[in-house]
Amino acid sequence: MLSRCVQCQRELNLATWWGQRSLLPLCSTCREGVLTYGVPTCQGCGRTSSRQPLCMDCQAWRAQYGWVLPNRCLYQYNDWMRSYMEQYKFKGDYYQRRIFMTVYTKAVRKCHAQIIVPIPVTEATWQTRGFNQVLGWYQGNYQALLRLKMRDKVAQSSKTRQQRLATPQPFELNRTVDLTGKRILLLDDIYTTGRTLYHAAQCLRTAGAREILSLTLAG
Amino acid sequence: MQTQLFWGRQLFLTTPPAFTTQMRPALKVGVLKVHCQRCGQATWRWQAALPRHQYYCPQCLNLGRMSTLGQLYHLPEPNQFSVPNQLLTWTGQLSPLQAQVAKRIKQTMQSRQTHLVWAVTGAGKTEMLYPALVAALERGERVAIASPRIDVVLELAPRLQAAFSQVEQVVLTGQTPQYRYCQLTLCTTHQLLRFYHAFDQLIVDEVDAFPYAGNQALLYATKQAIKPTGACTYLTATPGPVLQRQARREHWQVSYLPRRFHGQPLPEIEFQKIDNWRVRPLAPHLQQWLRQRLGRRECLIFVPKIADINPLLQSLRSLFPMVRQAGVYAADPERTTKVQLMRQHQLDWLVTTTILERGVTLPGIDVLVLGADEGIFFDCGVSANCRAGRSECAMSNWNGVNGGQASIGNDSSRAK
Repeated sequence: MLSRCVQCQRELNLATWWGQRSLLPLCSTCREGVLTYGVPTCQGCGRTSSRQPLCMDCQAWRAQYGWVLPNRCLYQYNDWMRSYMEQYKFKGDYYQRRIFMTVYTKAVRKCHAQIIVPIPVTEATWQTRGFNQVLGWYQGNYQALLRLKMRDKVAQSSKTRQQRLATPQPFELNRTVDLTGKRILLLDDIYTTGRTLYHAAQCLRTAGAREILSLTLAG
Repeated sequence: MQTQLFWGRQLFLTTPPAFTTQMRPALKVGVLKVHCQRCGQATWRWQAALPRHQYYCPQCLNLGRMSTLGQLYHLPEPNQFSVPNQLLTWTGQLSPLQAQVAKRIKQTMQSRQTHLVWAVTGAGKTEMLYPALVAALERGERVAIASPRIDVVLELAPRLQAAFSQVEQVVLTGQTPQYRYCQLTLCTTHQLLRFYHAFDQLIVDEVDAFPYAGNQALLYATKQAIKPTGACTYLTATPGPVLQRQARREHWQVSYLPRRFHGQPLPEIEFQKIDNWRVRPLAPHLQQWLRQRLGRRECLIFVPKIADINPLLQSLRSLFPMVRQAGVYAADPERTTKVQLMRQHQLDWLVTTTILERGVTLPGIDVLVLGADEGIFFDCGVSANCRAGRSECAMSNWNGVNGGQASIGNDSSRAK
C-alpha cells in the first residue's frame, strides 16, 4: 500500500525495497539509523550485554522482585530513534506510526500471548496528544487491563535515572479480573530503566498471571 | 494568560483561556480531506487521522500541532500603541531616484494598495521603506516586515532597530519563540501563520525567494495575517514570470528601480566554460582563478547542491592548505557562526549553496558560481552575483559554467 518512504516522502523503488528484506516502509537513506540488537543480549531487558545471562540492571531487578521480566527490544535507542520519538510522540505526528506498524504487530503475534496489555496513557494525554503511542504501532486485539492512578503526573522522559527508579506504583487494575494461569504480553514504547514495565508487571502478577513478558520498540 | 498575546493572533489551545476570546475550529473536516485553518492546506483524511475520530494537520506540525482536539483562539487587533514623538532616528539621505520610489510606497501604503517594488540588489530597498514606515507608525498602524530567509530577518533587525530606536520591535524566527506585542514586528514568513488579521501594513521582502515562492501555505498565511482593511507591499530584486503575471492580473502598483544607491553599475559577470568542474583535481582554469584570488579578497563560492560542498572543500584544502575556508548549508548547525566569521574577515573562502544568495551583505568580495547552468541558479544567479558589488565597490566576477550560458545571460541582462 505504501509506495513512498514515510519519513522523506520520496518514491520507493519497490523492487529495490523488496530486495532489502525489511518491512520498514523507509528508503535506504532513512533506514540507516534504524538498528537492531545483535547477540549477545541480556535475557532480561533484551539489550546488548557482556554479562550472561543477566545484565547488572536486571540482576538488581531480580534481587528486588525475585523474578525477571523477559523483555524484547526491536531496535536500539539511538539518535535516530530519539528524533523519531520526538516527532511521533511529542510533536504528535501520528502518521509516523506507519514506519513500525507492520514490524511491531508481527512481533506481537510472534509472542503467542493469551492476553495483550498496552501500557496506558493518562486521560489528559488523550485530550492533548490524542493517541496512545503504543497502540499506534499495534493493529490487533488487546485488553486495557491497566489504568493510571490519578496523581500529579510527571512524564518519565523528563526525569533523571534516579528519579525514574524512585517512581511509586502508578498503575492499578482497570477491573477485577482473574488472570490465573494466563500468559500476558505487555507493550511499551521504550525500555529505559524498566521501572514502568516492572510496575505494570507487578500489578498483573498480583492478579495471578502465570507468565508475563514485554515488548518494546526500542531500548 | 495575558490578553495581549491573543491580539491579532491565532493560538491553538486544547483548554480555553480564562477570558472570553473569539474561537474558530482548528480544522474543517471534509468528505475526503481535512482543511487546516491555520495553514490553509488540505490533507487526505487517512493521512491526517487520529484515533477516536479526531484529525490533525501534518503540514504545519513544526509550529505546534493543530488538531480537532482544540480550537483556534483569537482576539481582534486593538492597535493599542503609544507612538513615540521622534520616530525616525536614521540620518541618511535618499538619492533622488530612491526618494521617488519611497514617496510612491508611502502613497500606496496610505491608500491600502498592493505594491510590488522591483529594485535591483543594493538599491537600498530597506532605506526606501523608512518614510512610508514613519507615516504608517504615526497613524498608529501595526506593521510587520517578513522575509522567507532567516538571514535576511536577522540582518534587517539591527538596521531597523537603529533607524527606529524609539519604536519597540520584536523579532520572530523559529529559534526565538518569545512573543511580545509590539507595533513593529520582524519575522520569517513562517511565523505569519500565527497571526490572524493583525497587520495594517505587511511588507514581504524577497518574495521570490525559496521557500515563499509557490508555497501555498505561506501565501495563505500572508493573506490571513493582514487585516481585511490592510495592505501588502512586496519587495524583490528579481520578480519571476509568475509574480509579474500576478501583479498585472491583480492590478498591483509596480515601481521599478534599476539603479543601485551608490550609482555604480552592477558587477560585470564573466562566464567561462569548464567541461566538468566536479572532477578532482580541479580544472586548471579554476585553479588559476583561485590562485589569483589568494591573499587579495575574500571569496564566496556557490555550488548547486549540498552534496557538492564537501568534495569541493576537500580539493580546495589539498590545493590551498593556507587558506581559511569553510562550507555552509541550510541545515548546518554552525551556519550563523560561519557567516559571522565571514563577516568579520576570519574566513577567506566560504563554499555555500544558494542560502547565502540573498540578504547577506559582505563588502568587497568576489563571487564564484560553479555549475551556473544548473536549474537552481537560473533565478538567483543575478542576486548571487550582486553580493559582490554591494556596499563598497564593484568587483570583477567570474563564473564557471559548463554549457547553458544563454539563460544566465538573459537573467543578468534583465537585471541590469
